[in-house]
Amino acid sequence: MRVLAITRASLTRVARDRTSLFFLLVLPVVVIVIIGATVRGFSTFTVGVESTGTDAAGRALVSALERSPGLKVVPFATTPALTTALARGEVAAGVVVPAHLAAAERSGRPVVVTVYAERVNSVQQAAATAVASVIVGRGALVQAARFASDHSPAGYDAALATARGLDAVLPRVAVRTVRADTVSSTLPEGFSYSAPTELVLFVFLSALAGGATIVETRRLGLYERMLAGPVRARHVVLGEGLTYLVIALVQSVLIVTIGSVAFGVSWGDPLAAGALVVVWSLVGVGAGLLAGTVFRTPEQATSIGPTVGIAFAMLGGCMWPLSIVSTAMRDVGHVTPHAWAVDAWTILLSRHGTIASIAGQLGVLLAFAAALLALSTWRLARRLH
Amino acid sequence: MRAALVIARKDLRQRLRDRSAIVIGVVAPLLIAGVMSAAFRGTASFHFTLGVVDADHGSVAAGLIRALDEPDLRTIITLKRLPSDSAARTDVRTGSVAAALVIPSGFSTSVAGAAPKALAVVTSVNNSAAGGVARAVVESFTAQINADRLSVMTAVQSASPLDLGELSRLAQGLAIPLRTLQRPVGARELTAISYYSPAMAIFFLLFTIGFTSRSFFVDRAQGMVERMRAAPIRPFEILVGKALSVLVYGVASLATVGVITSAAFGARWGDPLAASVLGLAMVLAVVCLTALVISAARTQRQAEGVAAILTFGLALLGGNFVSLSSSPPLMRTLSLFTPNGWALRGYTDLATVGGGLSSVAGPILAILAFAAVTGTVAASLARRAVS
Repeated sequence: MRVLAITRASLTRVARDRTSLFFLLVLPVVVIVIIGATVRGFSTFTVGVESTGTDAAGRALVSALERSPGLKVVPFATTPALTTALARGEVAAGVVVPAHLAAAERSGRPVVVTVYAERVNSVQQAAATAVASVIVGRGALVQAARFASDHSPAGYDAALATARGLDAVLPRVAVRTVRADTVSSTLPEGFSYSAPTELVLFVFLSALAGGATIVETRRLGLYERMLAGPVRARHVVLGEGLTYLVIALVQSVLIVTIGSVAFGVSWGDPLAAGALVVVWSLVGVGAGLLAGTVFRTPEQATSIGPTVGIAFAMLGGCMWPLSIVSTAMRDVGHVTPHAWAVDAWTILLSRHGTIASIAGQLGVLLAFAAALLALSTWRLARRLH
Repeated sequence: MRAALVIARKDLRQRLRDRSAIVIGVVAPLLIAGVMSAAFRGTASFHFTLGVVDADHGSVAAGLIRALDEPDLRTIITLKRLPSDSAARTDVRTGSVAAALVIPSGFSTSVAGAAPKALAVVTSVNNSAAGGVARAVVESFTAQINADRLSVMTAVQSASPLDLGELSRLAQGLAIPLRTLQRPVGARELTAISYYSPAMAIFFLLFTIGFTSRSFFVDRAQGMVERMRAAPIRPFEILVGKALSVLVYGVASLATVGVITSAAFGARWGDPLAASVLGLAMVLAVVCLTALVISAARTQRQAEGVAAILTFGLALLGGNFVSLSSSPPLMRTLSLFTPNGWALRGYTDLATVGGGLSSVAGPILAILAFAAVTGTVAASLARRAVS
């Protein structure tokens, strides 16, 4: 009962603090929306296209680019706007479709489509290569129409119509894509990426920043006042631990609910996901209690806490998939509990894993939680005695 | 104004004695920028190994492999010969090659016939970008073969007087008339470290709003403000003193992070004068925001809450966490309602296009306009805060 009384008092303090509520409940949702809208395109190149005033041939070229699975086309009104966006890295290549493409194609002279991309920038070079492939594909029809009109009685337009008809049925040298594997080692893109990673980030970050409350309670002498009553140090430690656990679980449930209801995130096997949420909350409790005993001032907790939380989140793959960093950085990332949690979410969301599939990750996270809880409980109890 | 200087000096000394100011102003942005730099080292470029299985050994296959090895493609593709289809699948699955091209036996001879054999690009679900580029390069090569086949058949269908053999011979000299001309825009690549160094420096600079507001209300609670007002000090000077301490701290923090990330991590902040003026404008905006929070809040708790929400709100909208370059257009538009969004746009332009002070005049003016508006509102509320 004494433990629950301490937990209730601490939770009431948090619930009455509107700033805490903003950070615990509103900020995670906002970040999920922003990261979810942003973390896309690891498998596609965004290509800017300026095609104002173009004709039917130009529009056909733009729609061929749009149909290409590796490209995402973004329209631009002017060439300077397109080149500025390319310079800023907002697009990986820029295509300027000639205004009178149909007439140029018919003229018999080679038609050149300008593609802006730096050769020394390999991302842009790769995007330009993908664009060139689409444009050359379109050029096949033009070549066939010209060749046929040169060597037969048919005119260019009639030959182009014949070429278009034949193009759909003529056996061609096809390029098949063969998948060597079907198991993804990264989380799906969009909200299915941002929701689980932000859950990992925010539960830990909020707990670390929440260490400021324990520092403040220590400074105000609230613990001494509690211990003046029939309360033992272990009641205080348990009460504070339970407070952090309730906050972490409420935050997790909120993120999981909003993720699935508003953004359609499928969290995988419910038992495994539930176990992961609880174990990760325990890691957060350990980290928060430790922060409360390590920092001397609330300023330190609110400055060093978020810094450590963000750095760990980056290293652990919450901001970008660890598959895009070097092997050494991936190993360094696994020094943080975050990387193990993200690995477990990846198994649940991308590979439809069960609790048995994430047993290894859960074991490592439990070890992190046990170490953090043991250290923080010992430090807090020692301060109270 | 001497009183303002004394207040500023006292505030700075007080802040430096609590190590959290050093952590927020210097250590934290450097740590985060260092993590970013390490994480993205070697990954900013797009280069992959493409496995090639040549079971055909014919002339068309040789031409295709030559095309894959052209100088233009060497910046993105390194070729690795593989013995068999199964070796290609295994190597792609294990990641020792990013993708593989399999040229089947009899491919070269089939190309001239009615049923040409298909090429296969073996890809991994974990490296679809490499698979996509490999496919695009191979399709660029097969496009000419397919165009020639289509040309001959179109001529035949259009009642050409020439026979199939003659048309096929004529088609061999054709080149697809629609080509791309690749042109540079003269911009440097925006590396992660060049974006996130100013992004993190500005993010942690925003924390100053909270620190300074808290220090003001603590001073007031301890009766410092009343004691200062009992001396011949005008309320305006108290605010100027606080503002000066933010200005000095902010400039020192940005300058330190700028110099260290440039020297240690190779971050490009651009022309020193332009980068400095842009940074100074950003610090001024933070000073005005701090003044606004102090003037508008009634209690320390309120000030801390508003400052924290403002810090994270501006950082999220302004692009300090996720690169504006990879954000959707709506996010980029929203970022222009924040001074930090404008500052990051300025630093992005300096790091990529380059240029001097005039090239970032737009962002600087936008930030100063933001500072002027918040400063004016703060000034009108200031009397209430110190009275």
